[in-house]
Amino acid sequence: MPSRRRTLLKVIILGDSGVGKTSLMNQYVNKKFSNQYKATIGADFLTKEVQFEDRLFTLQIWDTAGQERFQSLGVAFYRGADCCVLVYDVNSMKSFENLNNWREEFLIQASPSDPENFPFVLIGNKVDVDGGNSRVVSEKKAKAWCASKGNIPYFETSAKEGTNVEEAFQCIAKNALKSGEEEELYLPDTIDVGTSNQQRSTGCEC
Amino acid sequence: MSMEASELQDLSDDADYAASQQQGSASMMRSDSGKRSSPSEHEDAELIYLKDNVAIHPTQFASERISGRLKLTKQDSVLFLSWIPYKGQTSNAKLSEKDRSLYTITAVPFTEVRSIRRHTPTLGWQYVIVVLSSGLAFPPLYFYNGGVREFLAIVKQHVFLARSSEDPNVFIVNDFQSPLQRTLSSLELPSSLPVASGQSVYPLDGGSSNENQGRTGADIGNRVSSVIQSGLRKQKSHDPTRDLSIHLLEKFSLVTKFARDTTTQLFSENNGFGSVDKRWNNQPVHSYPEKLSNIAEEKHNEIRHSYSENDLLKDEEISNDIDVPADPLEFNKLSLVWGKPRQPPMGHKEFTALLDSEGRVVESKALRERVFYGGIEHQLRREVWPFLLGYYAYDSTYAEREYLRSVKRMEYATLKQQWQSISPEQAKRFTKYRERKGLIDKDVVRTDRAFEYYEGDDNLHVNSMRDILLTYSFYNFDLGYCQGMSDYLSPILFVMEDESESFWCFVALMECLGPNFNRDQNGMHTQLFALSKLVELLDTPLHNYFKQNDCLNYFFCFRWILIQFKREFEYEKTMQLWEVMWTHYLSEHFHLYVCVAVLKRCRSKIMGEQMDFDTLLKFINELSGHIDLDSTVRDAEALCICAGENGAASIPPGTPPSLPLDDGTLYPQEDDVL
Repeated sequence: MPSRRRTLLKVIILGDSGVGKTSLMNQYVNKKFSNQYKATIGADFLTKEVQFEDRLFTLQIWDTAGQERFQSLGVAFYRGADCCVLVYDVNSMKSFENLNNWREEFLIQASPSDPENFPFVLIGNKVDVDGGNSRVVSEKKAKAWCASKGNIPYFETSAKEGTNVEEAFQCIAKNALKSGEEEELYLPDTIDVGTSNQQRSTGCEC
Repeated sequence: MSMEASELQDLSDDADYAASQQQGSASMMRSDSGKRSSPSEHEDAELIYLKDNVAIHPTQFASERISGRLKLTKQDSVLFLSWIPYKGQTSNAKLSEKDRSLYTITAVPFTEVRSIRRHTPTLGWQYVIVVLSSGLAFPPLYFYNGGVREFLAIVKQHVFLARSSEDPNVFIVNDFQSPLQRTLSSLELPSSLPVASGQSVYPLDGGSSNENQGRTGADIGNRVSSVIQSGLRKQKSHDPTRDLSIHLLEKFSLVTKFARDTTTQLFSENNGFGSVDKRWNNQPVHSYPEKLSNIAEEKHNEIRHSYSENDLLKDEEISNDIDVPADPLEFNKLSLVWGKPRQPPMGHKEFTALLDSEGRVVESKALRERVFYGGIEHQLRREVWPFLLGYYAYDSTYAEREYLRSVKRMEYATLKQQWQSISPEQAKRFTKYRERKGLIDKDVVRTDRAFEYYEGDDNLHVNSMRDILLTYSFYNFDLGYCQGMSDYLSPILFVMEDESESFWCFVALMECLGPNFNRDQNGMHTQLFALSKLVELLDTPLHNYFKQNDCLNYFFCFRWILIQFKREFEYEKTMQLWEVMWTHYLSEHFHLYVCVAVLKRCRSKIMGEQMDFDTLLKFINELSGHIDLDSTVRDAEALCICAGENGAASIPPGTPPSLPLDDGTLYPQEDDVL
């Protein structure tokens, strides 16, 4: 019988304005896409139940405003994050170039206990646009960036068509869980004694 | 508290005496507060720094400014800050000795100072705001003769002072905290304006919040006599902190009693429906008692319980296990709307009657009052909004406005040419332009596209919106474009139906609300801070709840304030709310009272369900589309009147949409050295 106890995993989605943060979140949680999402003001989150190895987790996915000017608010929203998803638009070089900023800003504001090993996941979104003809950031380039940042897992998605979104978020959840479990070592209360069957989970190798 | 007035008169300028008195009075309320000794008593303190003509401005009136002397002293290697008002400053009869002692800062050790924020405008007075680690802050200290830089330099010689990475004007004291803490402290800095310690020393609800005070509340209460709001000055008895609370309690109990009476009436006689109030026209509301009588007269109309239809705001579902502290104003128990009933919107005839033969608004206040209580018929909006926004002067004639429009039309065309003339070749070398344009292009196509006026591909209005925003980002290049601006522009363009006119209305609006979009986000932080002060004043238990649950940053209200509820109401309702707020009729900051009104409506749900920050944010976001406008506006009106001067004093000067205090530096880009 699966354990009833739920654990919250907090995930923050960051990236430039208009790269598709809200769309990714909604595609993953609600399996929906809309052309009419408004620019996110402030922050919001959606939750989704996920199951791993007989344990139920609540994935809390935070969507924030993408304009740089609002970054200073991050401090209120980033704290306690278990994983950070960086999103760029494969059709926008600028959104790719800004990834460093987003990553650094996150580490400063969230100040995780172990910044070196804090789990990030990179998503290159909008691969569907113009049949890929307007793409300006190559997969190779993105992967090189990921490698330089300590092998960040990388996914290419289309939030519009739902391509690869589920896979990306499974990896995100897994990474969040890993980071959460490390913390559990210091919080004996939250160790789950019900987890006995350690099955190998599928998904990304992160 | 029982001290004789004469004694106080004699001794109130004596800082030591004042401190000991405060200590005494506070310890009557909290027995453990006697632990710390008053540092001001030490005579062997070394004088480090002394500055004359440093003043506090309790109100916006020049006559009520209090000048004094700022001192830094050192005692056992701890640096202390004090500010003592001058004795016998006779410029103002209203300013009693007692008032002066109220603002005295008596030897605050720097170990309790979190940060110092400096304002050194090129024009106008320099001032600093000292924020304590408890989050409380002293009112701005104005350096009439300059010298803020010197002051900070001297502080720096004695305590560790680090410039905040977020804001070059903020200096963090004893900067040994974690980066997160550091960021937090600098973020909260705009909260560095006068704080009412009244509630924390003498909580309104009398009970539950006593435990929540923690040591800071009481400790600060001992010394922070100077952070009491200016509204106190008219009180009679001696303990200022007590005064404020008592004063409020009296007010609230009046209201509560009235509300109870009204409710009883409501439930016993249900015949008030449909009767039209005849009095709204001739009774502007100024004072609280007058307002009370107004409400009393109108009680027959008070049967709308709009919120009860709304599941999200229902209180009944809340479990009884959790003891929710009572609302001092008994808002949600009664589900009673207090303000005046909303009137039908103002029509053309009525508006014309407010103009003289040449088209001047005879009495702008009458117009603003009328709009405040009823809004404007849609067709008339394009005539009235430019007045409310400040684009048209109230005393302009038809002819002058016609002329203004034509001049402004040409001016707009010139401004628009500035970016229209940028060739693709030039654009390649103009990153900032490309980025701005990219951001605007992205945002206009996702602004109100479900609304008929903007729907469909290649919508001309969407193009106009883009042109206006791009032109604005050239007109105000320092501020540029920021997300949320398109939300403001959309209804304006829909109402004005003319690109140039919309542009200038938008410009006028941004004169007040530009700080919402400022890079340092200061305008937002100041408003969020003012909101927290208003909640503290109008619902102390709720304030305490937020405090306990780490929600005092009020970020969950960020969207409400940034775009003035644009995303919370449907389109037409947003326009109604905006025109009400733009009248600045009861308060320039009516939007903050609207925030308080909505929060109060949900208070027992928030506290009953023990919402944490995340849950609260989600809950507030999901209120969107579920808030009843009319009853909220009426609640806000009642709260605004109820809060009166104390409310106004809770809102720091320069809080948007008030114009900034110091002009020259509207949108500061960078700052230089210490």
